[in-house]
Amino acid sequence: MFERALKGLRQQLGTQMMSVATVALALFCMAGALLVLENAGAMVRRWGAPVKVTVFLAEGATVDQVDSLRRALAALPEVEEARYVSAAEARQSLGAGGDRTVATAPVELFPATIELRLVPSAVSAERVASVATRVRRIPMVAEVETYRGFTERLRGLLVGGRAAAGVIALGVLLCVFAVVSNTVRMSLAARLREIEVLRLVGATRSYIRGPFLIEGAMLGGAGALVAVILLGVVFAMVRVQYEVSLGAVLGLHPVFLPWTVLASLVLGGSMLGALGSAAALRRGLQS
Amino acid sequence: MGRSRVSNNFRPHFRPDGHFDSAAAHKPILVLENVMKVFRADAPVLRGVDLTIERGEFVFVTGPSGAGKSTLLKLIYKAETVDDGRILFCGRDIARLTEDSVPHLRRNIGVVFQDFRLVPYWTVFENVAVALQVMGLPPRVIRSRVAVALERVGLDGRGDEKVSVLSGGEQQRVTIARAIVTEPAVVLADEPTGNLDPVLALDILGLFEEINEGGTTVIFATHDRTLLEVSPRRLVVIDDGRCIEARAGLAGLGGVLDHGISIN
Ligand SMILES: Nc1ncnc2c1ncn2[C@@H]1O[C@H](COP(=O)(O)OP(=O)(O)O)[C@@H](O)[C@H]1O
Ligand SMILES: [Mg+2]
Repeated sequence: MFERALKGLRQQLGTQMMSVATVALALFCMAGALLVLENAGAMVRRWGAPVKVTVFLAEGATVDQVDSLRRALAALPEVEEARYVSAAEARQSLGAGGDRTVATAPVELFPATIELRLVPSAVSAERVASVATRVRRIPMVAEVETYRGFTERLRGLLVGGRAAAGVIALGVLLCVFAVVSNTVRMSLAARLREIEVLRLVGATRSYIRGPFLIEGAMLGGAGALVAVILLGVVFAMVRVQYEVSLGAVLGLHPVFLPWTVLASLVLGGSMLGALGSAAALRRGLQS
Repeated sequence: MGRSRVSNNFRPHFRPDGHFDSAAAHKPILVLENVMKVFRADAPVLRGVDLTIERGEFVFVTGPSGAGKSTLLKLIYKAETVDDGRILFCGRDIARLTEDSVPHLRRNIGVVFQDFRLVPYWTVFENVAVALQVMGLPPRVIRSRVAVALERVGLDGRGDEKVSVLSGGEQQRVTIARAIVTEPAVVLADEPTGNLDPVLALDILGLFEEINEGGTTVIFATHDRTLLEVSPRRLVVIDDGRCIEARAGLAGLGGVLDHGISIN
């Protein structure tokens, strides 16, 4: 059965290659969208959860005052850890990227802060907001940053991105189905005499349909495989660019799609191809 | 022409349950009872055909063009379905066979057409072997049986040639090899000489007679009067949608054929 499918594929190699390329291109778009979404998701997980609050201290607070404030903050149930970051430390940590202008800037430019790390399970956005309001009332505190606006923007982007990816995926799946279905219909048309002979000598339905179903599955699967490989190459190239520029600053490393997603893409591609082929057979093998 | 074995062993493959009915071996191979086939309501093609064909018979089916010869054969190998009546193949009614059983029926019937119906881009071997491949036989068995069949039709050693380069007579021999390679109980021939010149037509007729001598039942549809004249076989005429026996040969037919049969 497999041999007969391969024989059929070889017969119209040009058409089949075109169809694999088209399927690959379509699935590449979809997998690309998935990859972007995956990384956006990782970013939201990293930055989006309200796990960090920065308390900016007013100028002129004494060491004792700051320390008692720090202990009071650490005692709050939402707070896991409170750490004092002096102006000098802030300059040092920001300059760690190797930027000499930061490292040599006057220390007064960097505000002293208390960095709060929140208990991840305990914090909803509302509780973080209420903690921030309470802390803001303390005289020594100049400002409280909860990174909330940023978080919400990211989440909004992610929701929009998911919707867009859904639309792309739907279009791509339809496209793959149609391309494979049309290709199989063409190879059916080219082999009508063969099918007539097979029927005449008593071939069963599955014996006749089998090679075409395999052909469809191979077109879909091969297209998906090419798409995944292409995406891997593009990803590797983009990552090199990204790591030397943005990566260090954001502290985020781009991730590739997990292998389960890649395997489902290839599997799904072949299943969709087989479905497209079945549709072509339904229309082409009547009588 | 070597014939290695007598091929009248009917295997009732078309029974999905695989049960062998030993009584079937003693029944006529084919019985048509009151068979009706209507394509257009105002002009039924077959209107009550009754016909019994015994195992090992050679039967000519004739009648003018459009009489329903092809339709009759199509009903037997289930390319068409009867509108009424029964067709008993070894005692079993095949008129209403399920879709799944049709392939198994066809493995017991070899069919040869006027227009050959070969796959032009396949070799002679492939065109014959396909009948055994669909049955799932091992390649070694297929090779030897195809070789025997090609030898019987006078094409031994020609297996590797593409059929598209063969002459009409040779192509028809390939289809005959395809029809007999499974050693079927019945061979149906639908105007197999219609595309061949008279000398070749006689050769092909001789080939079918040899096949019949091996025990295979042959039903040969033709409107070629020459063939009917040279071969004193049982003759069935389809006239006005019914089958008429013409036991006395052509002479006994009177005017029935005069309006339709051409003499090549
Ligand atoms: N599939 C079909 N649909 C409609 N009419 C058909 C079909 N097959 C055959 N016929 C009609 O049935 C009649 C008998 O055809 P056929 O059996 O081919 O005759 P023969 O083989 O004796 O020349 C013809 O009039 C033909 O037009
Ligand atoms: Mg005809």
